[in-house]
Amino acid sequence: MNLFFQQIMNGLTLGSIYGLVALGLTLVYGILHIPNFAHGALYMVGAFLSYFLMVDLGVHYWLAMAGSAAVVALLAILCERLVFHPLRNSPPIHDKIAAIGILLFLEAVVQMFWGADFRRMSSPFTGILNFDGLIIPEQRLLIVVGAFTLVAALQLFLRKTMVGATIIALAQSRDGAFLVGIDANRVAMMTFAISGALAAIAATLYAPINLVYPAMGHLVIMKAFVIIILGGMGSIPGAIVGGMIIGFAEAFGGFYISTAYKDIIAFGLLVLILSVRPQGLFAKGAH
Amino acid sequence: MLQLNNVDVCYGSFKALNRINMSVQSGELVVLLGANGAGKTSLFNAISGLGRPAAGAISFDGRRLDGLKPSAIVSAGVVQCAEGRKLFPQMSVLQNLMLGAYVHRRDRAGNRQRLDEVMALFPILAEKGQQPAGSLSGGQQQMVAIGRALMSRPRLLMLDEPSLGLAPLVVKQMFEIIKKINGLGTTVLLAEQNAFAALRIADRAYVMENGQLVLEGDQDTMLGNEQVRKAYIGA
Repeated sequence: MNLFFQQIMNGLTLGSIYGLVALGLTLVYGILHIPNFAHGALYMVGAFLSYFLMVDLGVHYWLAMAGSAAVVALLAILCERLVFHPLRNSPPIHDKIAAIGILLFLEAVVQMFWGADFRRMSSPFTGILNFDGLIIPEQRLLIVVGAFTLVAALQLFLRKTMVGATIIALAQSRDGAFLVGIDANRVAMMTFAISGALAAIAATLYAPINLVYPAMGHLVIMKAFVIIILGGMGSIPGAIVGGMIIGFAEAFGGFYISTAYKDIIAFGLLVLILSVRPQGLFAKGAH
Repeated sequence: MLQLNNVDVCYGSFKALNRINMSVQSGELVVLLGANGAGKTSLFNAISGLGRPAAGAISFDGRRLDGLKPSAIVSAGVVQCAEGRKLFPQMSVLQNLMLGAYVHRRDRAGNRQRLDEVMALFPILAEKGQQPAGSLSGGQQQMVAIGRALMSRPRLLMLDEPSLGLAPLVVKQMFEIIKKINGLGTTVLLAEQNAFAALRIADRAYVMENGQLVLEGDQDTMLGNEQVRKAYIGA
């Protein structure tokens, strides 16, 4: 029974990370209709920045997380201003090519500074909690609690503040948003900033139980795309539920079937769910 | 108040509007008549900044509007209530209305007062406040759209075919409300195909055909005009 609960904990951990990354991806897609392939690179840059701040500058974990989130948010805004905004009237394929360009560029920059080595980044939360035989490492608990807190905070921001509501408004009706005087540029920058910060925080939360390396974003972004396709492109609850589905499937599949196949499971599920519900689980525009 | 001089609007090589000259004075209710595709919506979009004129000048109280962003035009007091309503369908009626007050978001007390005024105008919206706007009937959605536009505190309110697709009884009610809004001090520019009903509440009217203004006159002249009667009233 304990092993079963252990897998639940693992599923929650993975699902939290995937959910945070997918949330940023779906927000950007929902308002700008850009499939931001560079999102995984932002995630990776977030991990390296935290690594740099902690290991090279000796900054505390929390401060490193905040610093990395701020810098990646800024980087995401720069991507929007310098790359996606000038392309807003071009054919959609240009956005996709540009996003891949950003991805390659950021990976090359990181490799130039830090090389391609795998690095270990430890957090101050190395303890292990033992609840009557159920073993939970502190960092995993932090990931789950951190992710849930962030999602709740984001929901409050989007639902209860007028500035947050502009993001949803733009996703639901572009013309409607213009008619009430919402400035699309401001919303686009804000959305990119939120998306970048979420990616950096997810990376900083996950890095201590994983490794930091330039290609670390690849599998995460692939799965984030699976999640938002599953959940319905642009849907916020879809990203969270989708993240959990993939996280749990991987944890349980990895344990009960084979760890070697755990990455296949996400993509297998995608094929399965899309053949039953091609529009995704929550496809009704943004909520 | 609103002044258009030789305004052209083009879509590619197609000229949707050709040398439009028109004006709206403060306090007036001006009707813009025209069939589908005559260019009414193109004209509204050019004024509200959703479209861009290829030539000519649009000014509001002496200030140039053309070239400004839609958000700046709303802030200036020119608000469009678009054809097809363009609501935020999954947001509640109340959220839709409050987003109308976006450019005035710092004046919370003023927005609350404004909301009360809108609710007084459309009592049904108070009842439906928490429902998703997309779940309302066509007439109620149109009320949300007008209410949202009023929350932006327009000095000039542009209504694009508010009667489109509504039941005759609701249409009648809609025109009464528009008259009332005008009576409360908001200048109104109303695009309509429903010529008779629109002219009955209008001070003045323009007739648009194929992207050009072909006729202009006050209420009596227009209602008495043979051409207008034949083309738009059918009597």
